[in-house]
Amino acid sequence: MIKFFLMVNKQGQTRLSKYYEQVDIGKRPSLEADVVKGCLTRKKEQCSFVEYKDFKLVYRQYAALFIVVGISDTENELSIYELIHNFVEVLDKYFSRVSELDIMFNLDKVHVILDEMIQNGHIVETNKNRILAPLLALDKMAEAH
Amino acid sequence: MSDVVEKTLSALPSLLSLDSQPGAGKLSSTSKLGNLIRGITELTSKHEEEKLIIKELASIKEQVASPNTTMRQMKEAMVRAIYCEMLGYQAPFSYIHAVKLAQQGSVLEKRVGYLAVSLFLNESDEFLLLLVNTVLKDLQSTSLMEVCMALTAVSQVFPRDMIPSVLPLVEEKLTHPKEIIRRKAVLALYKFYLIAPNQVQHIHSKFRKALCDKDPGVMTASLHIYLQLVKESPESYKDLTESFVTILRQVLAGKLPMDFNYHSVPAPWLQIQLLRILAHLGKEDQSTSEMMYDVLEESLRRAEMNHNITYAILYECVKSIYTVFPKAELLEKAAKCIGNFVQSPKINLKYLGLKALTYVVTQDANLALPHQMTIIECLDHSDIIIKRATLDLLFRITNAQNVAVIVEKMLAFLRLCTDEYCTVDLVGKVAELAEKYPFIKAKPGS
Repeated sequence: MIKFFLMVNKQGQTRLSKYYEQVDIGKRPSLEADVVKGCLTRKKEQCSFVEYKDFKLVYRQYAALFIVVGISDTENELSIYELIHNFVEVLDKYFSRVSELDIMFNLDKVHVILDEMIQNGHIVETNKNRILAPLLALDKMAEAH
Repeated sequence: MSDVVEKTLSALPSLLSLDSQPGAGKLSSTSKLGNLIRGITELTSKHEEEKLIIKELASIKEQVASPNTTMRQMKEAMVRAIYCEMLGYQAPFSYIHAVKLAQQGSVLEKRVGYLAVSLFLNESDEFLLLLVNTVLKDLQSTSLMEVCMALTAVSQVFPRDMIPSVLPLVEEKLTHPKEIIRRKAVLALYKFYLIAPNQVQHIHSKFRKALCDKDPGVMTASLHIYLQLVKESPESYKDLTESFVTILRQVLAGKLPMDFNYHSVPAPWLQIQLLRILAHLGKEDQSTSEMMYDVLEESLRRAEMNHNITYAILYECVKSIYTVFPKAELLEKAAKCIGNFVQSPKINLKYLGLKALTYVVTQDANLALPHQMTIIECLDHSDIIIKRATLDLLFRITNAQNVAVIVEKMLAFLRLCTDEYCTVDLVGKVAELAEKYPFIKAKPGS
């Protein structure tokens, strides 16, 4: 299962965090800093999967942003690696080439998108149209008011 | 491959203006949220962050307590609170208002209220009980959006003891004309199953209906429940093997609508899910396995493209082939596949190849033989993750002849270990080997 989903920039600033397993809010910043450190020390030609404590991290870099997903041992690393990319493609579709600032200024909407894709640590939707449908409907309703 | 564009900070003013790009936020230049975000981008130290957020928390606290705050302002306050919590600073005074926002807000505000609740609260929180009434009301709403939101919220965080009060309404949604509602209802029931399996015992027949739903999304949602059920008691679900095989066959044949494709591959994550379910069903059961050999072979054959996602499918396929009752020709094809992974110059594939090999050598240690050279190379690989994966593999193919060398390599690696989990794991393995082969002498100097 997926334990957490993070978007952290190279300076270690968290731009999005979603936890699917209970982690004390006080412990989160140090976990996130640790996790990003682990990814920053990796070189481009190295594996995108890192062992971390008693579970694993799958990470992928997009410009200055790292997307890091914590997974349990039984998860298929490459499928999560591509899930991350699917997520970015969905963001690209919604924001027309997404940027870090887009994410910051629309944190609630990015969460809504992620909510459609992952629930309870499992992948529940990967069809881009279906992922975006609720958010687009919300946008339409908001415009009408 | 898309790039996340790096917009410079000079783009901030346009993002903060009232007429912004499609999809981007519409924040006024005087908005508190806009100011917070600008403040966050300008931070240069942890100390500054603390100052900024503490000030922000005080401002939010004041705003949520004020009777003059509109729902619109409350929504913005919740997003600000979400930001603060994301950075590690708790805002417990906002929790009750998140619930209220979900209750009283208009549709967009309601969504943010539900979002905030899902982020702030966990199962044991008392405030969660207050959400139940809102959920009940929204589940009966004529607005599809509100029903969707309620179902999503229920799937994320819901008090176990209150399940009986919402269960009938959620069950009702299983036959809703709209697929999104049926799908979300199934996922809500999955959540209930995870936290209180006894409460949903009586509706297993409804899960079967979901599995046969004409909409692929609803069917896919039911697979989450089925994977759990099949893992726990495969014997009770052998009769569904044919259904799962048929579904996989149809997916492979391209019967799903185009938008279920990911880079031209039909519903890859669905394929992976089905392969896992079939693996559980076919384990140690020859007759059931025989029902799936064809589709497993087809899966293996179809995923020949050069894309990460097809490799992910292949990996899962190989694992399934080695889990179900063995069939020689299939095992051979799978072994060839593993070989391609291990020999691949792509490092992620090499890693998966090593993992796959580790999984299959428990059944047949000889499978590692053709890859000896590669394994030895991997032992000295510059990537510590590859090294470790290789050691894991070696641990499983230890015998009296090679144990001394393998233990030596493990001890050498132990010196590189920086975290206790790695150390504990390796020490455990070395101890196990020492117990298993007590009379082998390690080479001097190790």
